[in-house]
Amino acid sequence: MTAVSPTAAPAPRADLPAGGAAGAAARPAGVRRKWTEHGLVFVTPFLLIYALFLLWPLVYGAGMSLTSQNITGTGAEFTGLDNYAEAVRDPAMWSSLWNTVWFTVLSTVPLVIIGLVLALLAHQLRVVQWLWRISWFAPFMLPSSVVCLLFAQMIFPSGFGFADQLLAEFGLEPGIGWLTDARYAMLSVVLTTVWWTVGFNFLLYLAALQSIPQHLYEAAELDGASAWKRLWHITLPMLRRTTGLVLVLQVLASLKIFDQVYLMTGGGPDDSTRPVLQYVYQQGFTGYRIGYASAVSYIFFALILLVSLVQPWLARRKEDSK
Amino acid sequence: MTALSAVFARTRRGAAERDGGRKARWTPGRFALLAVALLLALVWLLPLAWALATSFKPESETTKTPLEWIGSTVTFDAYERVWSVGDIPVWMFNSFVTASATTLLTVTTCAMAAYGFTRTDFRGRKVLYGVVLAGIMVPPQVLIAPLFVEMVQLGLVDTYWGVILPQVAVPAMVFILVKFFEGVPRELEEAAYVDGAGRWRVFWTIVIPLSRPVLSAVAIFTFITTWNNFLWPFLVTTDPDGMTLPVGLVNVLSSYGVRYAQVMASLVIAGLPLLVIFMLFQRQIVRGIAHTGLAGQ
Amino acid sequence: MNPPLPSRRRALAGGLGALAAAGTLGPFAAGCSAPAASASGAARLRFWHLFSGGDGVNLAKMLDAFGADHPDIDLEAVTLQWGAPYYTKLGMAGVGGRAPELAALHLARLPGFGPGTLLDPFDLDLLAEHGVTEKDFPPDIWRRGRVGGKQYAIPLDTHPMVLYFQTEICEKAGLLKDGKLAPIRGAEEFTEVLRRVKQATGRPALVTETLGAESVGGWRLFSTFYSQTGGKVLSADGKRLVIDDAKALRVLEWMASMTAEGLWVRRVDALGAVGVFNLGKTGFLLGGEWEVTTFKTNKVPFSMTRIPDLFGRPTAQADCHSFVLPHQDDRGGAPNEAAHTLVAWMLKHSVDWAAGGHVPAYLPVLDDPAYLKLDPQSEYRSVLEDVELDAPAWFNGSASRMWIELGDVFSGVLTGSRTPRSALAEARERIRGFLDTPNPLPGAAS
Repeated sequence: MTAVSPTAAPAPRADLPAGGAAGAAARPAGVRRKWTEHGLVFVTPFLLIYALFLLWPLVYGAGMSLTSQNITGTGAEFTGLDNYAEAVRDPAMWSSLWNTVWFTVLSTVPLVIIGLVLALLAHQLRVVQWLWRISWFAPFMLPSSVVCLLFAQMIFPSGFGFADQLLAEFGLEPGIGWLTDARYAMLSVVLTTVWWTVGFNFLLYLAALQSIPQHLYEAAELDGASAWKRLWHITLPMLRRTTGLVLVLQVLASLKIFDQVYLMTGGGPDDSTRPVLQYVYQQGFTGYRIGYASAVSYIFFALILLVSLVQPWLARRKEDSK
Repeated sequence: MTALSAVFARTRRGAAERDGGRKARWTPGRFALLAVALLLALVWLLPLAWALATSFKPESETTKTPLEWIGSTVTFDAYERVWSVGDIPVWMFNSFVTASATTLLTVTTCAMAAYGFTRTDFRGRKVLYGVVLAGIMVPPQVLIAPLFVEMVQLGLVDTYWGVILPQVAVPAMVFILVKFFEGVPRELEEAAYVDGAGRWRVFWTIVIPLSRPVLSAVAIFTFITTWNNFLWPFLVTTDPDGMTLPVGLVNVLSSYGVRYAQVMASLVIAGLPLLVIFMLFQRQIVRGIAHTGLAGQ
Repeated sequence: MNPPLPSRRRALAGGLGALAAAGTLGPFAAGCSAPAASASGAARLRFWHLFSGGDGVNLAKMLDAFGADHPDIDLEAVTLQWGAPYYTKLGMAGVGGRAPELAALHLARLPGFGPGTLLDPFDLDLLAEHGVTEKDFPPDIWRRGRVGGKQYAIPLDTHPMVLYFQTEICEKAGLLKDGKLAPIRGAEEFTEVLRRVKQATGRPALVTETLGAESVGGWRLFSTFYSQTGGKVLSADGKRLVIDDAKALRVLEWMASMTAEGLWVRRVDALGAVGVFNLGKTGFLLGGEWEVTTFKTNKVPFSMTRIPDLFGRPTAQADCHSFVLPHQDDRGGAPNEAAHTLVAWMLKHSVDWAAGGHVPAYLPVLDDPAYLKLDPQSEYRSVLEDVELDAPAWFNGSASRMWIELGDVFSGVLTGSRTPRSALAEARERIRGFLDTPNPLPGAAS
């Protein structure tokens, strides 16, 4: 497969090794390439799948949200912005949107802080690293359904559940409706999520900690700075950018909550934990109103776009003002 | 975006620097930290231990109070029962097929695309790359409704392709690989061109081997996320014979009613493959996640 | 205590099949053998259902017997999680075009389940060949399976709410006459009975599902007692809200007073309620008749009867299990015939089905001595004349959105998180929301 064939059919003129740096054009001038060498050939397989399964649904969904289409793809009548108008007036849409945001707030804070604390512990101790990795990160390797069935069936049931039994061991009153009482259900979902995914943030923080240049600490130690001082004045400031990133990723991940709620509370009690993705699922897949579900999806998408655009901007402004 | 690549580069450097540091002294403060860490480790391990303990109990003792870790006998009954029904092996197989195929396709198509975007030039390259980058902002969860209808129209509901294809198009992976390729010196490739090699040969014999670490990071991350993915396989498979492990567990097993030992046994079986892989390849996996995790979620 | 799991034919063969399928990555697993026929040449018959209680165990036994009778049919039964998850999957399978050959469906769900789009009609001639015809069913129930002149659902049973009681506890409280519960009439009398049981045991006297994920218990209770007042929720055509506030409030206030006084267990989900009664902690259980096998297997000293007439009529909320043919792009041939064969066979073996608690819809069985001998299953068969099926609306029926949303609302009345008045207002609001939404799958149904 010698690809250099000067006599091949005229190749597109632009077909040169890329790179802004012009020096990269290392090929002997005048060499022409077969069409199979064209850059487009390399990017096409990805672009094809990308266009079919990401771009097209994005456009198609936007179109669907303007119709009364049902899940079988029939019954499509153009209804303009009716679906959006209905969604804006739909209290269930707002409550599910609010539950999503509320879960994000409740989960992001502990997930970032505990992730940081665990990473600091593991980094500081420098012994039995395997133990920390297995206990804090291994749960992240489990499928959501394994985690949720475990918590829903063995940890949270009233009475015989592990959580209640643990309370009883400490002489506290068992019988809490962890997943069935509207006061606790969301917190139980958050608790499960923290247990399950904190390992991911733990890992990102650990990697960041390990890359703080050692000489900073050595210099501080020579100056007689205490461990606390070093933490406050070297470690945490050095982690600021990582924290910003972990925060963005965590917020975006938390906003997409579906599995835990669907599998543990089914959205209840009385829809008090139902997130917006589950509402999309209920409207579109359980209720067949795929057009309306698309409209709700796009409202949700707008929220995500807002967060992913505003958050880095906020972070940058904060950094600049310092 | 730039912040992302900066941290990405930093974690790479970090790996090289690690463990080169000081020797720790065992001060009382450090003992206290160790105690806290051990306590937290225990808290994290308890739920898993409880699942394991329950799975070995006789069914009649699973809901006994007060708390007991070991039942009157230790039995493998629950495991035998859930395995012999025959669902779990099928689901495991489906998970394996779909996760492997997704990983293979993701790595190849993304690596090719990244090569195309960094090492070739053609009209519209920048625009196309911009379109790919913009896709990072689109969470696939937003697309479930139109994507499902599209699958119906393509006749891919309840097929392996239906599970696989939508999970392949991950623009973040292209981005990671582009960042990596940009950092790879071109001398070797240029030498090969001078020797008369074509792009495909350069790609396969130079670029791919050089980027083994980042490719394996992408592969590990993709495999884990697709193996564990719930929402999409849950939507696109309705026939229990075609469900992946996480989906099958929920839809079918929970319908057998309350048999806690059996449910826990099936969870243990379902969780085990990745846990074992994790124990065996801890370092690679941890590094892989730290590399790709930042962009890949 | 530990019945065997429904076994499915497959294991290694399935795995190898999937391996072959993986080569082409076509339709998967057992689907490697063409859907029409399995490797052995037998017609493949996939049957999905949602029977996971005592009735599920009972069904597994029946299907094994069917399999033994029909070596030419490769039956593969799948139990899916009850409720909305089951119906969502079944609907999506119909959309996807690779649905199972046969499935179970609650009859009241039919109008919203896309007959003609998600469901295929039965071939009545084929059924007649197996000896099953229209005249074998109560006309009302049969008619509800009919849409646009075609039969989309073949009823199997009716399953009303019933009242279970512990014979020993009731004996102690002096409520039994010849081993049967003395007739109870009116809400006051029933309350008095519960008080006596509570005195005898020192615990709440009755347990019923009051909460849970996608809980429908609250709706079932309300629907039962509200129907006893003679009130209707929807007009007969299912198009208007006609709820009677005074009657509804009377029922809701009574329900709230039950848990408030500690006569009913306040916070318990569906499985928990069965567990409580199973352990003999309460004298009564209000629930579906399908738990009967569970209690029989566990040798609970119990019996059961119709729900007493508390508000003027002896009605009870009910739905019917029926068979449907989920839509397949290529329905027909041997698998379709096999589906009809199984339907006819199940109907003719309704006595065995009745052992699981349900009242057969297949009339020839009702006078069968074998059925009359079933105790306590034949105790409540007279309820068949007094069952209250949901009005035919697309959002109605077992595990529908309406059940779940109203279940949530009325669950709040039982647990004390809602007042009867606010619950009623909320219920009205939600029903109006459903009525305002057009049926997304109009098709042949209204």
